Amino acid sequence: MSVYDVDVLVVGSGPAGATTARYAAQGGLRVLLVDKKSELGTPVECSGALSEHALEDGGVPIDEEYILAPAYGFLTYAAGGEQIRHDYRSYGRAKPLGYVVDRKRFDRYLSSLASLAGVEVWLRSRMRGYIIEDGHIYARIERLGSEQTVRARVIVGADGVMSHVALWAGLSPAIRLQDMASCLQYIVNNVETEGLLEIIVGQAHAPGGYAWVFPKGGGYAEVGLGVIRTMTEYDARCHLERFMSQSFMRDRFAHANILEVQGGGVPLAAPLKKLVADHIMLVGDAGRHVNPLTGGGLHTSLRGGRIAGEYLASLGGDLVGEMGQLQGYQEQWFAQMGDDLTSLYRQRVAIFKERDIERQDALLFETLGQYFNPHSKYRKV
Amino acid sequence: MKPNRAVSFNIVWQACIGCSACVAVCPQPEPFVSPHDTIALNTPCSIACMRCVEVCPTSAITFERLAGVDIDTMAAKSPLGVGERAG
Repeated sequence: MSVYDVDVLVVGSGPAGATTARYAAQGGLRVLLVDKKSELGTPVECSGALSEHALEDGGVPIDEEYILAPAYGFLTYAAGGEQIRHDYRSYGRAKPLGYVVDRKRFDRYLSSLASLAGVEVWLRSRMRGYIIEDGHIYARIERLGSEQTVRARVIVGADGVMSHVALWAGLSPAIRLQDMASCLQYIVNNVETEGLLEIIVGQAHAPGGYAWVFPKGGGYAEVGLGVIRTMTEYDARCHLERFMSQSFMRDRFAHANILEVQGGGVPLAAPLKKLVADHIMLVGDAGRHVNPLTGGGLHTSLRGGRIAGEYLASLGGDLVGEMGQLQGYQEQWFAQMGDDLTSLYRQRVAIFKERDIERQDALLFETLGQYFNPHSKYRKV
Repeated sequence: MKPNRAVSFNIVWQACIGCSACVAVCPQPEPFVSPHDTIALNTPCSIACMRCVEVCPTSAITFERLAGVDIDTMAAKSPLGVGERAG
């Protein structure tokens, strides 16, 4: 059997993996990006909202190709309907603050950028395991049904919250149920939006998380929520149905038709303390690189992918992939992002430790309202 | 609801949205998955922590206790009946 030889094998072509691969290849490394799917970005597990900063941080051109709707700010609602409005148009910013993207097109776009930078991309290719030998890591890849061995210096696990790479490398202690948001969203018609990302807090609507209404372009909106299952005996679908039919917002959904159903698990955990092992690095959801307060994972993935890719590129021909050498990525990641995410995690834990539901709701409302304020130090996280 | 014995999982495919949240919370030391990236099906799970069943946004995972005759379903709690299967 032939051995395919590269410097870096990236497993998973989501935002984190494709960005890591692109920056590594731009630095002159030979990079192979594999994904088990035949269509990237599916099934959609994400609201698709991201800021313009996120695109800048990930070196991604703003392109109509993947944009569904512009977002000009935030509208945060308390459990009973009270609002905090941060519409950046009223702060003198005419251009969008961010966008809601089509994840299928966005992931394809990022994979295309990576391939244009010289990355080889294999779809329908699933990693089955690896061994480490003679200073290299050998991955078994099942590609279109036949087995292929890939020899690399480093495997980057960008294989999502259910990362097998992290599991095999012993880097991923099981995520606790109280740190995992169970999310569901509907793409609907007949729901008006005004170019703002709307966030609705309250234990009555979404225990442990929040509900959202985002513009989706073309007259569509997405309505969703995330719950922490240790805080409710009902599933996300049940809460979403109840939110749409019984909350203070119900009149807005009276004529909504559900056109798509999407969902997933979002890790609202502290980032993994160890992101590297011998010949292994983790990025994106695999490293729990998600904003634990908002559940946002696109910015953290793009930015983290860039940190990882640039770090690999900086090693260039000296890349051997031992843990000691990869440690630098982990240090840079924590200095640039990890410490902030850890602090946001502590804020989240403190909010939900509050037993009094009214106070808990108020704390979350204030914290998120503040978070989206133009002066928030975290808004760029 | 944590059974004291090994369980085996199944999926109500019409409820499953393919998100793999069940796999993400699974504490098994090796990937405990089906070819469809759900939790492993018809395979004994001796941990029986039931996190996969709980995290599922649509309650699409059912289970049975392997040593007993009873068949439980967490999903029965959902008033919508999604994922409900009475054995």
